[in-house]
This record gives sequence, structure tokens and C-alpha cells, in this order.
Amino acid sequence: MDLNFSKEDIQFRDEIRDWLYNGGYPEHVKYKQDNDEPLTREDMVDFHKAVSAKGWMGYNWPVEYGGTGWSPTQLYIYNQEFGKAGCPPLLAFGVSMVGPVIYTFGNEEQKKRFLPDILEFNTWWCQGYSEPGSGSDLASLKTKAVRDGDHYIINGSKTWTTLAQSADWIFVLVRTESTGKKQEGISFILVDMKTPGIEVKPIITIDGEHEVNSVFFTDVKVPAENIVGEEGKGWTYAKFLLAHERFGIAAVGASMRELSRLKDVVKELDSPELDKKVAEVELSISALELTELRLLSALENGGNPGAESSILKIKGTEIQQRLTEIFVEAAGEYALMYPGAHGYGSNDKPSGPEFAAASLSKYLNMRKTSIYGGSNEIQKNIISKFVLGV
Amino acid sequence: MNLNYSEEQTMLREQIQKFCESEYDFYKREDVVKSDKDFDENVWSLFAEQGWLSMPFSEESGGFGFGPVELSVLFEEFGKALVIEPYLATVVLSGTLLDKSNFSGKTDIIEAICTGSMHVSLAYAEAAKSYDYSSPSCEVSDMKLNGTKTLVLNGSNAAKVIVTCMHNNELTLVLVDTKSDGISQNNFSTIDGQSCSEITFENVAISEDSIIATGEEASLLLADTLNLATLCVGAEAVGCMTSCYLKTVEYTKGRDQFDQPISNFQVLQHRMVDMFIESELAKSLLFKAMLEVDADSDEKYKHVSALKAHVGKSGKISAQDAVQLHGGMGVSEEMMIGHYLKKMISIDALFGNADHHLGLFSS
Repeated sequence: MDLNFSKEDIQFRDEIRDWLYNGGYPEHVKYKQDNDEPLTREDMVDFHKAVSAKGWMGYNWPVEYGGTGWSPTQLYIYNQEFGKAGCPPLLAFGVSMVGPVIYTFGNEEQKKRFLPDILEFNTWWCQGYSEPGSGSDLASLKTKAVRDGDHYIINGSKTWTTLAQSADWIFVLVRTESTGKKQEGISFILVDMKTPGIEVKPIITIDGEHEVNSVFFTDVKVPAENIVGEEGKGWTYAKFLLAHERFGIAAVGASMRELSRLKDVVKELDSPELDKKVAEVELSISALELTELRLLSALENGGNPGAESSILKIKGTEIQQRLTEIFVEAAGEYALMYPGAHGYGSNDKPSGPEFAAASLSKYLNMRKTSIYGGSNEIQKNIISKFVLGV
Repeated sequence: MNLNYSEEQTMLREQIQKFCESEYDFYKREDVVKSDKDFDENVWSLFAEQGWLSMPFSEESGGFGFGPVELSVLFEEFGKALVIEPYLATVVLSGTLLDKSNFSGKTDIIEAICTGSMHVSLAYAEAAKSYDYSSPSCEVSDMKLNGTKTLVLNGSNAAKVIVTCMHNNELTLVLVDTKSDGISQNNFSTIDGQSCSEITFENVAISEDSIIATGEEASLLLADTLNLATLCVGAEAVGCMTSCYLKTVEYTKGRDQFDQPISNFQVLQHRMVDMFIESELAKSLLFKAMLEVDADSDEKYKHVSALKAHVGKSGKISAQDAVQLHGGMGVSEEMMIGHYLKKMISIDALFGNADHHLGLFSS
């Protein structure tokens, strides 16, 4: 056994660091991230285009489709270093979600049409999965696509659609058949957001931000050629997509960065209670980091980590949330003056430590992490069924 | 990076598992607990024959030169089967300390440990010195040892004890024959079925050639030995935690209430998942600890502390949950499951509890 990375992996890490700290990571994005300022759509595009220009957008893609062909260890290092540097997380919808579905199940025409734009970040994708009546029980979805000549007509609504307001395209799970098992009769279709009949309405979350949306479809006419794979096999592709998204979900690098910021804050406060909480979360991060490395090592040796990786989702999100909780506690009474959706109420910023307002915002924002991507309770069901066998 | 056990390490694990299954089931263990000696001579001879007693010692001392990974494998399996043989006291606390020392008389003693003919223990703990082992009250002056040691594991069977004491204002490790004049000994049973002693030394004569180490050398030897022993009980706890969730899953699948196995109930499923997750996290911290325990920096202590802090807290919670999910059976002395809880209590109490090690980890 050996915990050390190989010489090649260290070289790889240094190359990533060189890009991050010597001019690759766009200055204006870095500045905003480091100062907890919100990013605009343009900032996000700049960041993704910079990653793309370096050739690192297809981080989890095989070389034949323009990907990096990295090993699991390289992918881990990449995630870790980007997280530690405080980069915004790379948007998963294109490169990590719809991309692999298209190159695995799509036809040649679709690959040619969609993959290059994903790698160059010319199209911003969003995800049409959840519906008002279909959350954890996703297969109960009702949005309907009815074949009409060489088109489908889509009616229904999707919800919690992240950054739909910025998106050019949406991949949608639709029901093409209502009889039989609910998992059958679901199809996976690609839709241009400019198509008539699509309406995006903002949902403001408790942190006051506009990140998610409702997307309504009223007689939306989509060319039949936009369906991926076979009609009625969408559930298989949907599950494939979720399985593809596992690594990086632990967000260990990003949590390490937050931990070090938190330590700086708590150091000044001389509070044994907070010190103990910080120590506990540091211990959890260490345990999670090693758990990810163990799964990685199994993967490198041809094993299949399977449902065990649900641990990464559960513990990773618990840690992300815990860090924000301690930040809020550290803010003390200044936690009261959180502007939320309505601004400060004064043109001046309130007194109190710099981190106070941002920490409230992050705290509220991070509540989503244990809900999305298969809620943590669903992850426990998965472990229970597939690992414990009950 | 490679976090997979080697073929040799896997074979060792299988060998120990085979022993535990065929020679050391719960009833056998109960017999050993109830016996006067608190260990089994035949089992101990078998350990010697298998080479387990010589495993961690250097080849110059007649050992196999196996490292912390192999020791962890052994203790993890011991934890699963709740083995109570005094391996920790004799082989880890005493044998490895002697092996790493420059003590001139060490060869004969290590050889006797390897063949199973001698038990030795380390007298490191004192009352009212909670978890601070660096400045004992026991003292040697005019070559006479005075003071009282507590929690001397397996002290009743030990022919010799290594005593931590102050001598010329320096920490000193001396080897004392338990039959020496001036020694009085009280033996106690521990919560997990082992035994320990309180030993009082009253003007016990010490010779120059019974001094194992002094000063910084003694401090380092003691700190590293206790660190290795902490790793071992940490690995033992990981084994306990694994057994706790596996046995609980098995039990709930077989226990019918309301016309169905109680494992069908989601509230129980999620508690068992929590037990599984905590045991996997403990295993991860064990990997880090055993791979760093020989490091040249303070990292060697830090990651052992992380492991000990984690198992002290979550290991106890897992064992409590195992008891809870076994219902009334969980609190029955004749069932094995409650004994995991006792083991976890004992492990948390040894060498610094969860809070203590959390403090060390973050400092």
C-alpha cells in the first residue's frame, strides 16, 4: 500500500496548479469568487471558455470524442485542485450529464451536432428532470411528448431547473407512453430553449437568489430527430447519467478551502466550543478524503465502487452544510443583518465582520445539497438495498 | 497511490479469520473470560506457532519485520471476534518497545515473547495523571523504585513489567521483574473481559542494566509505542464496528414482527446505513493512520489521533445502535452483541478518549 501519488500524477497536479495560479484562471472571476461576490452569466462563460481553451473541458470524456481520457486519479486531482483554488464548480449539465448520454447512446448526427459545442461551451445546457409532482419518485413524471409526423409535441412542466434562465438548450425526460410500468415509456429528448411555447419562471430560494426555475411547455414542437437513443428507453439513459456524475460530488477540495477560511475566522474568536466544532468537521473531511481515495484505488484496479459512492454524496453534502453552519455561529449576532432577497435596507453595508453576510447566504444556499442529486434519504435507501441487502 | 491489500496481507487476514471461526467463537471466549488466567495457554501457543507473536519484530530480533498494516489486519480481525488474548500488552506495548530500543538485554526477552513462554507488560498509567504519560510520579532514587502504577494490562500474567518513571529528573524506562521484593499487586477484571493490575513499588532495587532508555530516547520510545498501540486498538474498533452493522443486518432480517422482518422498516434501515457509513469512514481513517504511523514527522501522531477520536465517538454510537436494534436480546449478557459495546467503551478509555484525541488532532 502506498498513499503517495506517482511521479506522473504529481507532474499532472503541478500542471493544473500552474494554470490555476499563473494566469489560466480568469482574474476577474477569481476576484469575485475570493470576495464572495456573485458571478454573472458572462463570468461563468468566461471561466468555462478558459477551461475549454486549455483542453480540460472534457475531463471525464474519452479521447475519441475530444475528451482528456484522464484516469480516475487524474480526475480526482483535477477536482481537488479546482476546489482548493476556489473556482466555481464546472457546470455539470453539458459536459458531465448530457454529453456522456449523447456519445454513449446518441447517433452520429447528434454527436457531430452537439458534442463540439459542449466542449467549447458554446451551448449552455440545463436539466429537465424534476416536476412539481415528481421529485424523489422521478419515474412518475407526467410531461408528455406526443408524436406528430416528424415532430413531437411537448406539454407539461419541469421544476427546480438550475440556471434555465441562462440556458440555450434543455435535455428533458418526457413520457411518450402512458401504459405499462412507469419506468417504461419515458424518453430522453433535446430541446432548444428558443422554441415557441417554452416559458421560464424564476423561483427565488431562501437565500434570495434566482438560481432555479419552473419551465413550462405548451405545445412545444420539437423535431423527432432530437430524441436520444430509442423512444421509451429514457429511464435507462437517465440512470446512466446519474451514475456518471458520482466523482467530485464529495467536493473535498472545496470543503478544504472553506475549512481553512473558517479556521482563520474562528482563530480570532477564542471560543473552545467553536474550536471543537471546527476540529470535528476537519476530522470528517479527512475521513471523507480517504474514503474517496479508497474508492478511487478500487476503481483504478478494475473494481466497481457501486453504491458505496453514495457515502460520498451523503457525507460530502453534510460537511458542506456543516461548514456553513459553523460560519453562521461564528458570525454571532451579526447573523441578524442578512439582506436576503430584499437588500440591506440601507445603502451602506452593516458593521460586523466581512464574512457575516456571505456566510448567511451560503448557509441558506447549501441547504439544497442534501436535497438534490437524489436526496440523502434516497442515498440511504440505495445503500440499504444494494450494500446491506435489506 | 495504491490502497489495496497485498496478496500476502490478504492471506494473513484469511488465516486469522479461519482461526477466529474455528477456534475462538463466542462460547470459547466466554470460557476464557471466566478462567482464572484471562487468557488461554493453548491459544497463545497456537499464536506462537502461527508466527503471530513474532510478526512485528525486526528480523535481527527474530521477527518477521511486518509493519503497521499487518498489525492492523490482525487487530481488525481480533475486533470482529472480540479476541481477548493479551497480544496488545505483551507483543505491542512491551515487545515492540524493546525491539526498537537499544536495551542490551532485549534479545532474550523478545525471543521468549515470540515462543509464547513469557508475558511482559508496560506500566505507563498512573491515577490522577489522566492521559498524560510523560511525567510519571513513580521515581527511582538511590536505585530504588517507588510509586504506584495502574491499568497494567495483563499484569497478573506478566513476568516482567516495563515501568515509566523519573530518574535524575528524566523520563526513564526500567524493566522490573514482577517477583522482585517490594512489589505488591492487585488484579482487576476489565469491562471487556481482560485483566489489569495496580502495582505498587516500594523500594524495589533497580540495577543499571535494567534501564531500557532515559531522557529523550525514552520519551520517543514511549510516545511511539503508545501511538502504535493506539493504532492497534483503533483497528480493533474498526473490526467491532464492521461486525456491529453486519450482525445487526443479519438479526433484523431474521426477526419477524408485525408479520414481516423488521429489516423492512425504513427507520431501522437508515440507522443501519448510518452504522455502515461510520464504519467505512473509520476504515478510511485507519488506512491513513497505518500508512502514516512510521512517518518522520508529527503526522504519525496526528492521523492515529484522528482514528482514535472517530472510533471513540462513532464506534460507541454504532455499538449502542446495535444493542438498540437487537431489542431485548441486545442487553442480554449471553448474546455477543452487547459485548461489542463493552469493547468500544474499553477502547475509548484506553490511551486517551475521543475528546482528548480530537484535541491532539486539531492542535
